[in-house]
Amino acid sequence: MTQPLLEVQDLHTVFSTKDGLVKAVDGVSFELNPGETLGIVGESGCGKSVTALSIMRLQRPGRIVGGKVMFKGQDMTRISEYEMREIRGREIAMIFQDPMTSLNPVYRVGWQVAEPTRLHHGWDAKRALASAVNMLGRVGIPSAAARARDYPHQFSGGMRQRVMIAMGLTTTPQVLIADEPTTALDVTIQAQILDLLRHVNREFGTATILITHNLGVVAGMCQRLMVMYAGKIVEAGPTADVFANPKHPYTWSLLRSIPRLDAERHEPLKPIEGLPPNLVDLPNGCAFHPRCVFRVERCQRDVPSLLQVGDTQRAACWVTQAGTELKGA
Amino acid sequence: MLAKYVARRFFASIVVVLGVTLITLVLMDRTRGTYVPGIDLNPALRPEDIARLRADLGLDRPFYLWYLTWIWGVVHGDFGRSMIDGSTVMSHILDRLPNTLELTGTAIIIGIIVSVPLGVIGALRRGSKTDHSLTVVSVAGFAVPQFWMGLMLILIFSVTLEQHGLPWLPSSGAFSAFAGGDILDRIQHLALPATVLSFFYMSTWSRFIRSSMLEVLSQDYIRTARAKGMSERRVVYLHGLRNALIPLITLIGLELPGLVSGGLVVEVVFGWPGIGKLAFERALQYDYTTVMGVTFFATLLVIAGNLLADLLYGVLDPRIRYG
Repeated sequence: MTQPLLEVQDLHTVFSTKDGLVKAVDGVSFELNPGETLGIVGESGCGKSVTALSIMRLQRPGRIVGGKVMFKGQDMTRISEYEMREIRGREIAMIFQDPMTSLNPVYRVGWQVAEPTRLHHGWDAKRALASAVNMLGRVGIPSAAARARDYPHQFSGGMRQRVMIAMGLTTTPQVLIADEPTTALDVTIQAQILDLLRHVNREFGTATILITHNLGVVAGMCQRLMVMYAGKIVEAGPTADVFANPKHPYTWSLLRSIPRLDAERHEPLKPIEGLPPNLVDLPNGCAFHPRCVFRVERCQRDVPSLLQVGDTQRAACWVTQAGTELKGA
Repeated sequence: MLAKYVARRFFASIVVVLGVTLITLVLMDRTRGTYVPGIDLNPALRPEDIARLRADLGLDRPFYLWYLTWIWGVVHGDFGRSMIDGSTVMSHILDRLPNTLELTGTAIIIGIIVSVPLGVIGALRRGSKTDHSLTVVSVAGFAVPQFWMGLMLILIFSVTLEQHGLPWLPSSGAFSAFAGGDILDRIQHLALPATVLSFFYMSTWSRFIRSSMLEVLSQDYIRTARAKGMSERRVVYLHGLRNALIPLITLIGLELPGLVSGGLVVEVVFGWPGIGKLAFERALQYDYTTVMGVTFFATLLVIAGNLLADLLYGVLDPRIRYG
């Protein structure tokens, strides 16, 4: 067993709002192994993006109020802001959901892609730009040398996301966090960007955390998968096993809600009933219980923890931990 | 592309100049009555003398004929002579323009130098005591009339200081008659009016920079810059400020007509021999030609300021294209 590259332990991040304290990340623990691709799935507001931002300590205005983020033997929640800056963009790079707004509109693309190496490796402008152009070519931007002189608004959405990826890779980081990298893109472009991320993962050996609400994306990309709900991880395990045999009712419902190509025509969609919980005022017990078709009396009282269920998976559910299979309903 | 854009703007501005000067003339003409600039006060004049003088000045004709004659002169570079003192309008303007440029130029530069850092500080420390104090000061800057602030400064820095035998600042004029253009003397004369004028710019612009900066700092590309591991200083000043300054350019461009008019109140209060004071005095005396000349130049400056702002926009923001 290799040493994990990144280890998140019992992370808590909160936001103060006028309605009360929002526990956006509520005791999340996981590890990321070298070279692997880990998926984090969940609906909007479940805390997956805040988890990623907290790793980078970019969660402001939220506050990390507990837990550790271990990377290279140090706890990133404790180190100084200066040390943190040395990690950001150098050891851990991050790309964001909306490539249209994530690049600075007033600087040339080449300059922006060259910035991390100038800053972290102290390269001069010429060398950094040459390496930026090289990287732009490697992520599939045609005539990269000429395009490096263009401004972001002269690029399409897909091309901008390639630029973002190139910008993250110039310093050959060990971890790449991709926060909904394809959500804002057309379906065909999504496939191209996912191909690129897969290629990057293989060629550079960069461990990737892929955050998405799209189960299809996870299925094609990730060896392991975590499902988040209301700030907690509710299920984790190898992607194939989770898809074949979900151990949490939320995962089960998510998978069931995907329309199937081989289904009967006119078969109604199967949504998850109810709404995502109000994060200021979570239900007692398991946060998912009001929407859960398998709930038992205990679910309304006690919060389940994430425990081994089956050979390879972990789930936070009283029902499956008691040995019940999720079927039918 | 750019040349075509500038050409089109130029032709549009001809219409603006014609409109503004025509309205100015109509306003003066409709309110003048039978007054003849500069000469009514002389009791020795007989009615037939007045009629002759009116005819000489072209005031017996309908205003549109006067206007056409004036335009004809302007097209040939002739702005006519003042109806009051007979010297050319151009010499009046050239005489006063350097003083106005000195005053407003200084005020604008001080305004920028002070307001940009204040705005950034307000944005970075939003909600802090510093931010609230800056808000109070700048609201005072809008709210306090310039003439009042001018009078108060004169009272404090000229009158009271002198009464206590302390070094004091001059309250009127652009220089002392006996100083012979001494630079220190000019700066002393400039101090009070430039303070009043720049205080207004500071108030407006620092508020503007603050809100512009706050908006920019919430943008995704700022988060990207942080995620790249940049220092907060680099994030704010390199990635934030340049974006935040773009809209300020328009505001400053719109302030350029203040080179003539914005300083009018200040020029009058401090007896500053500038264009604004000239226009003010001559308008009261119905000196048609001088007022029309100043109006013409003021309009040109407004148009040039706007055009300059638009062009600067293109330099700062690569997304802007002219067409």
